[in-house]
Amino acid sequence: MKRHGIAFKLTTLTLSCAFIILAAIVGYNYYCSRDVILRQSEENSRLLAHQTTSSIDAVLSSVEKVAQNIAFSLEDATLTKEEILDLNRRVISNNPEIYGMAIAFEPYFLDKEKLYFAPYHYRSAGRISFSMLGSPSYRYFYMDWYQIPKELERAVWTEPYNDEGGGGVTMATYTVPFFRTVNGKRVFAGVVTADISLEWLEDMISHISIFDTGYAFLLSRHGTFITHPDRNLIMNETIFTLAEESKSEQLRKIGQDMLGGDNSFVLLEDVAGKGERYLYHARLKYGGWALGIIFPKAEMFADVTRLSRIMTLIGLAGFALLVGVIILIARRITTPLTKLSGAAHEIASGNLDLKLPEITSNDEVGDLAQSFTYMKNSLKEFIRDLTSTTAAKERIESELRIARDIQMGILPKLFPAFPERDEFEVFASIEPAKEVGGDLYDFFFVDEDHFCFLVGDVSGKGVPAAFFMAVTKTLLKVVSERGLDPGEVLTKVNADLATDNESCMFVTLFLAIIDIHTGETRYANAGHNPPIHIPETGKPEWIPPLGDPVAGIMEDMEYTTKSLTLTPGDILFIYTDGVTEAMDPAQKLYSEERLMEHVETMNKPSAPELVKDLDTSIKKFTLGAEQSDDITMLAFQFNGEQDK
Amino acid sequence: MEFTNTKNGDKLVVAVTGRLDAVTAPEFDTQCKSWLNDGENRIIADLSNLEYISSAGLRSILSAAKQLKTAKGEIIFCGLNGMVEEVFTVSGFASMFAMYPTLDDALAG
Amino acid sequence: MISMQRITQLLLLSVLGICITAAPSLALEKKSIILQWLPQAQFAGFYMAKDKGFYEEAGIDLTIISGGPDVLASEYLEAGKADFATMFLSTGLQRRGTLPIVNIGQIVQHSALMLITKTSSNIKSVEDLRGKKVGLWANEFQMQARALFKRKGIPVTIVPQSDSLDLFMRNGVQAASGMWYNEYHTLLSYGLDKNELRTFSFSDYGLDFPEDGIYCLEKTANTYPELCEALVQATIRGWMYAFNHPEEALDSVLRRMKKSGTPANRAHQRWMLKRMEDIIVTDKVPAMGVLNKKDFQRVRNALIETGFLNNVPLFPEFYRGPVR
Repeated sequence: MKRHGIAFKLTTLTLSCAFIILAAIVGYNYYCSRDVILRQSEENSRLLAHQTTSSIDAVLSSVEKVAQNIAFSLEDATLTKEEILDLNRRVISNNPEIYGMAIAFEPYFLDKEKLYFAPYHYRSAGRISFSMLGSPSYRYFYMDWYQIPKELERAVWTEPYNDEGGGGVTMATYTVPFFRTVNGKRVFAGVVTADISLEWLEDMISHISIFDTGYAFLLSRHGTFITHPDRNLIMNETIFTLAEESKSEQLRKIGQDMLGGDNSFVLLEDVAGKGERYLYHARLKYGGWALGIIFPKAEMFADVTRLSRIMTLIGLAGFALLVGVIILIARRITTPLTKLSGAAHEIASGNLDLKLPEITSNDEVGDLAQSFTYMKNSLKEFIRDLTSTTAAKERIESELRIARDIQMGILPKLFPAFPERDEFEVFASIEPAKEVGGDLYDFFFVDEDHFCFLVGDVSGKGVPAAFFMAVTKTLLKVVSERGLDPGEVLTKVNADLATDNESCMFVTLFLAIIDIHTGETRYANAGHNPPIHIPETGKPEWIPPLGDPVAGIMEDMEYTTKSLTLTPGDILFIYTDGVTEAMDPAQKLYSEERLMEHVETMNKPSAPELVKDLDTSIKKFTLGAEQSDDITMLAFQFNGEQDK
Repeated sequence: MEFTNTKNGDKLVVAVTGRLDAVTAPEFDTQCKSWLNDGENRIIADLSNLEYISSAGLRSILSAAKQLKTAKGEIIFCGLNGMVEEVFTVSGFASMFAMYPTLDDALAG
Repeated sequence: MISMQRITQLLLLSVLGICITAAPSLALEKKSIILQWLPQAQFAGFYMAKDKGFYEEAGIDLTIISGGPDVLASEYLEAGKADFATMFLSTGLQRRGTLPIVNIGQIVQHSALMLITKTSSNIKSVEDLRGKKVGLWANEFQMQARALFKRKGIPVTIVPQSDSLDLFMRNGVQAASGMWYNEYHTLLSYGLDKNELRTFSFSDYGLDFPEDGIYCLEKTANTYPELCEALVQATIRGWMYAFNHPEEALDSVLRRMKKSGTPANRAHQRWMLKRMEDIIVTDKVPAMGVLNKKDFQRVRNALIETGFLNNVPLFPEFYRGPVR
């Protein structure tokens, strides 16, 4: 994964979000505004078109009415030529919106001599002029204004045309057929025409201005431009020729729609580089003409576009600002962090005295820096303590090792102990659970004839037990040398131990004194494990306890002495509970039963053999489990007086 | 090692289960101190479910007995069996303290 | 150092040069031609020949007179108001009866005249015109229609058609006359789609009459044979130029139309020019301007058949144009 700094991440994320938000806002605003404008424009154009078409329709319809009325009145066959002429003139004078009116009859209708009878009154230079239409060069029977109502038998508006006489003004004519009854049959008699100038129309429509370049135009029934801001188009082009020249299929289709009668608001594609434009078109009620109102799209939306552009620019400026601010804030965070990170590396490499960078900002980063300093100081202290503790520990351990040596030193370790004496052999082994232990053994000559050997077990293990053990051993030696009975020895030692024994430590003891000539062995037992007497021949037996309690508790306790006689070859095996209570990993005890069993299996072992063998057995049993108690074993074999 | 205490009149019956050795002995000491603080000085230790006791355990019993003696109280034992009974016998503790076979005997006695 | 001799030589050469360039204009024959209708692309070739000076190069200072609805081209020839005129072959043949005119060049080889119907009126064949109202133009424009109806025995009601298509647009007639190069496109320019119109071209019914040709009084042809020939060739050149430079030709046509106040738009004239090319350029004749004797005969026979012609002009009398 590529590594990106916090500043980068923050900037990217925030900017992306901000961008999305901005884009959404601007975009939505833009489209909504455009939508609103579009709808408004459509509505406005509808109103405008309606207004315009209504005005135009009003004029056209009033003209129609006049012409229709005249046509109706001409159905009266009793009208004379003069009356007709008079009527013709009066209509013109009374109807200022009508430019000219003709009443044209079918050939020879009114006068059998005359082919043409078509009086025509019209305005000219502020006066009403008269002319009689119809001549070889003006055979009106085949002109649209005559022929169409005749063939269709209904009134129509002709296509607008340019009046040559009237100085190029666009005109349109409403022509109404009239009928008379001849020989009982209703026949076509002629037409009444009303000409109107479309100058006022051009004027009205050219005044329609929409935005800057919007405009309105009028199409004739066949799509010819009646009015248009571009005068070249008027009467020359139809909307379809325009479409053909611009190669726009869409324009042709729209032209057909316009003349087809729908009112609608459509988007015109870009034609001849004019850009996209909206067109509202509506059909007039009279004349079959169509009005079109053009809205330039760009201008319509100019405001919105401009607004959106400005909004975007503001947004972008905001972005730039945002970037700056974010980077600033990010730096405020990352710079201290980078410093702390560097400091952490330094400290990790061991430099605990490094001065941490000054960071005093009152925020999370400042808190972090403070915690860092606190941690560094704590670490320093801790390591200092650890160092001193370790030093202390090592010191203690070394002292313990020395203590062990001393402790072991006070126990007789040299074997064979009395090589020159064959009357007996004694062998002992001791394994403290810790560096120093609470087990003890000793053996020594009380006097020339009596040999004392003992085993003891101080409660607990470790240094406290070791102290007690040293004291006990010393006491025992000193008191035994007085030549007392074992019981008396124990009584005396117990009394000394029990005095000022605040710690409630006690010691189990088994002490025996043997007459090396006779083999008589006196012994005392203070709460100690029953030793085993292994006769030369026969089964090994437990030496039963005497019921005397452990030593060191009850000051006034008197201990009993018992005795047994050893015959040559007998072994007395004394041990501490470290043997019987040796545990395997499952916390199963070695137990007295196993001890006895093992001893029974041995065949006349020597003292050393016995001890070593048992040692092996115990080790095999414990399977490497941690030694829970001191293990001490002493074997004394009586050989009797040997003949030299 | 676990203790279950039940008050029975003015005597506190404490059932000790598990092992009382060098590891758990300090716990026993602490417990005794707290019992003494609570004013209990007549303790019946029911050792029916005590599987093992080491010399450290014996020592803590001694210490407890000594404290109770100072507080004019006492500790008696019941339900000893197996290895624990042997140790008590061999060490002579059986003759130092009052031992009863069952709890009821201890309560009665 | 330029010598005096040299200077004199140069002066003489320049004067001569001026005279030579100026000379042709002094030798131009002033003539006039009347085109049978108002200015439109139908006469683009003539306009181009004039604009590009082809007539001048042929030694003719030609004035072009526009025709129109009130003007009869042959009358101008008769009255001497124009030296040359364009008219349809059928017109020329008919007029030959009362006026000694000759054809000095046939420009338009095919007939562009047709009857146009709306597909909505369901007239699928000429026979379906039976009893319907058919708009026909006056004079020579009726000949092909009448011949067709007579041959096929189809009775129709003939309605005189003006130069407006309004009656047809309003369904006053079921079929209207039209030139393929003119009225057909006018209907398209009124918003009718091609699939809304069905046409019947006379050229498909054995009545493929060549149309526009150049005519003059026999007298003129006899007096100025080279000039006539030159005129025709220049006209042909004009037409070729117009076909190869349509935009330029359209510019010229539209300019003239505007000047005369005739309603004009480029799209319509563009169509007209293209269609003129179709009916002028053809491998039916060995070269432009040639009148096929067979065409002459066909037209003549049709006219006789329909009673438009009573005397029978002979081909060599009538035709003085190029043979190849």
